[in-house]
Amino acid sequence: MAGIILGVIVAIIVILLIIIIATYNGLVGMRNQTKNAWAQIDVQLKRRYDLIPNLVETVKGYMQHERGTLEAVTNARNLAQSVASAGPGERAAAEGQLSSALARLLVVVENYPNLKANQNFLALQEELTGTENKIGFSRQFYNDSVLRFNNKIEMFPSNIIAGMTGFKQSEFFEVKAPEEREAPKVSFSAPPKS
Amino acid sequence: MWEQIKSNQIRSVMLIVTMGTLLFLVGYFIGLYFLDSPTAGVILALIVWGMMNLVALFQGDSIILAMSGARKISPQDHPRLYNVVEEMKIASGLEKMPDVYIIDDPALNAFATGRSPDRAAVAVTTGLLDKLNRDELQGVIAHEIGHIKNQDIRLMLLASILLGAIVILAYYATRIMFYSGMSGGSNRRKGSSGGGGGAAVIIVIVVGIILMILAPIMAQLIYFAISRKREYLADASAALYTRYPAGLASALEKLANSNTQVKNANKATAPMYISNPFYKGGMAVNDLFATHPPLADRIGILRAMGGASYADYEKSYEKVKASRIIPASALAEAAPIEARPASPESQAGEIRERVERTRETSDLMWRLSNYRSINCGNCGTRLRLPPSFNEPSLRCPHCGYVNQLETA
Amino acid sequence: MKCPKDKSDMIVVEHEKIELDYCLQCSGVWFDSEELELLVSVLKATGAALSGTDLLRPREAEHAEARRKCPVCGHKMQKVWLGEEPGVLADSCPLGDGLWFDSGEMQQVLQKLGPQDTQATKDIISFLGSAFPFTLGTDKRG
Repeated sequence: MAGIILGVIVAIIVILLIIIIATYNGLVGMRNQTKNAWAQIDVQLKRRYDLIPNLVETVKGYMQHERGTLEAVTNARNLAQSVASAGPGERAAAEGQLSSALARLLVVVENYPNLKANQNFLALQEELTGTENKIGFSRQFYNDSVLRFNNKIEMFPSNIIAGMTGFKQSEFFEVKAPEEREAPKVSFSAPPKS
Repeated sequence: MWEQIKSNQIRSVMLIVTMGTLLFLVGYFIGLYFLDSPTAGVILALIVWGMMNLVALFQGDSIILAMSGARKISPQDHPRLYNVVEEMKIASGLEKMPDVYIIDDPALNAFATGRSPDRAAVAVTTGLLDKLNRDELQGVIAHEIGHIKNQDIRLMLLASILLGAIVILAYYATRIMFYSGMSGGSNRRKGSSGGGGGAAVIIVIVVGIILMILAPIMAQLIYFAISRKREYLADASAALYTRYPAGLASALEKLANSNTQVKNANKATAPMYISNPFYKGGMAVNDLFATHPPLADRIGILRAMGGASYADYEKSYEKVKASRIIPASALAEAAPIEARPASPESQAGEIRERVERTRETSDLMWRLSNYRSINCGNCGTRLRLPPSFNEPSLRCPHCGYVNQLETA
Repeated sequence: MKCPKDKSDMIVVEHEKIELDYCLQCSGVWFDSEELELLVSVLKATGAALSGTDLLRPREAEHAEARRKCPVCGHKMQKVWLGEEPGVLADSCPLGDGLWFDSGEMQQVLQKLGPQDTQATKDIISFLGSAFPFTLGTDKRG
């Protein structure tokens, strides 16, 4: 009789252990996925830092009257690069500034038909569009991964294991700059004359 | 919600099991009829199946790509296409970048293939690159990446190998039966089975013959049924990845309006394309034999979506088709996902862009065919010279200026 | 692509973003249907009244000239009139791959534009004329 009770207890312990190990491994897997997703964002943001000097150089000759717009892009890029080792929250704000400065530049470009005929610029524009989209999609994937991970940490019963083994919630990569949320306004006015 | 709609769905697994059973039965009757040992027949079926697996394992994807005349491209060859594929790779969380192929064909189509998500390829026609804008191309590529991510390419490979093995075995078995029947081969068969149970033997033979005739047809129907279901699921994935169901819907509308067929498609590769490559406008396609669901249904579902999540697709699907499509496991974690707003576009701009896209694509195709490209020194007209051209000079047909050429 | 007349490799001439295959030996021109369709959509966008159908399906012509094979699909092409009769003689692929203009036909092209021709025909023919002014000997018009 005692043997049977002992057996049942051992079985329960074994099952519990298996559940704990599976949950723990699941959490580790999800944390790694958010880390990978974060690395993806990082790659694309760095790509954007590299593209901007090229873009400004190509565009400069065509748009002497847009010095302010170009400077805003360069400054936003340098600012974003200076916080490149910070956490998602801090970086998101700086990157949001850069995105909106770039969006303004691309709106202004519409007023320069010569520039739009430049092969070099067209190639850069495609690269920039691709990079912007990749930043957007990697952010989308990262935030979805973080949401799942954070839910798992908060929800019962995985929250017990997460608490015991010290899993912390991850930070979302959310663009807080208000300009970024609005779609860029296209201006149909004539190009500014000096 | 990022759990891919895996092939763990009961229905798909059941269909594969049914196909496996069909293969087993075909082997069994071949053994019974020709080899006097059902086991030997089943082993023969397994050998045929195994050999086809080996072929598929080592070069299944390259055979399919070669059959469709696809050429592999690098990022520099077509930056826009390559970027869009990479964008969707990132959005889907796929780990490895699929190879990108272009098919020189004015028809509008695309397909994904490969033996696993880590060894996959996406192929698109030049017609598709010319006629779709960036959002639409993104929708189509997202659909193909959806096939890769949802393990469809693996499932379809598995199903097509089973189908192939059944077709080959049944084909040769009926051939041999027919000829041996005429030369009295069945007498030998009767003699060896002894006197008793003559009626039972005849029943077995009749069942065997019917099976040999029906098995390939049944297997094909199952294959098509799997294929149709996976198309809807890939559409749902495309909406989720792009957050823009209207992009794919608009691409499918352009596909529906185009009347060109894919030249190098055949029955075996058909289920892999985004829309049926054989579909001709106005022709009624037999529902059971269709590899793809009707485009109108797919467009209607995408257009009626309220958001971009699987739950939104499911809701829209239930409205249009009055049945269910997405497995509950994929719906369980759903958080509301908004679709992004449409990007503005004018009609004149659209045509200008279409011309640009066409030239971009044809530039690439000429380059891949080793054509030399020069601009006339006088009028600037672009001239492309075939690799066989080796004259020292060329008179421009537009202005008559004689261009001196560097000797290749 | 091989010239349907003398089988030599044709060169490709890009005029106003439209590609035409041109034979250096016989001055014949192959107008691929994809490019023709592109031209039609461009002309439509710039406001010219144009219907693609009366171009892409010209009427059957009875003519003694040798039948040529389509350089794309290899099917025998049909002789067709482009525009109101007597119009311009061309070879049309039965599968709709494109149109072939012999050099002799190219010479006739510009003179044949009658008042009763549709705008679509005129647009296509004047496009061909503007693509090859030298070959047609029309660049001296000033």
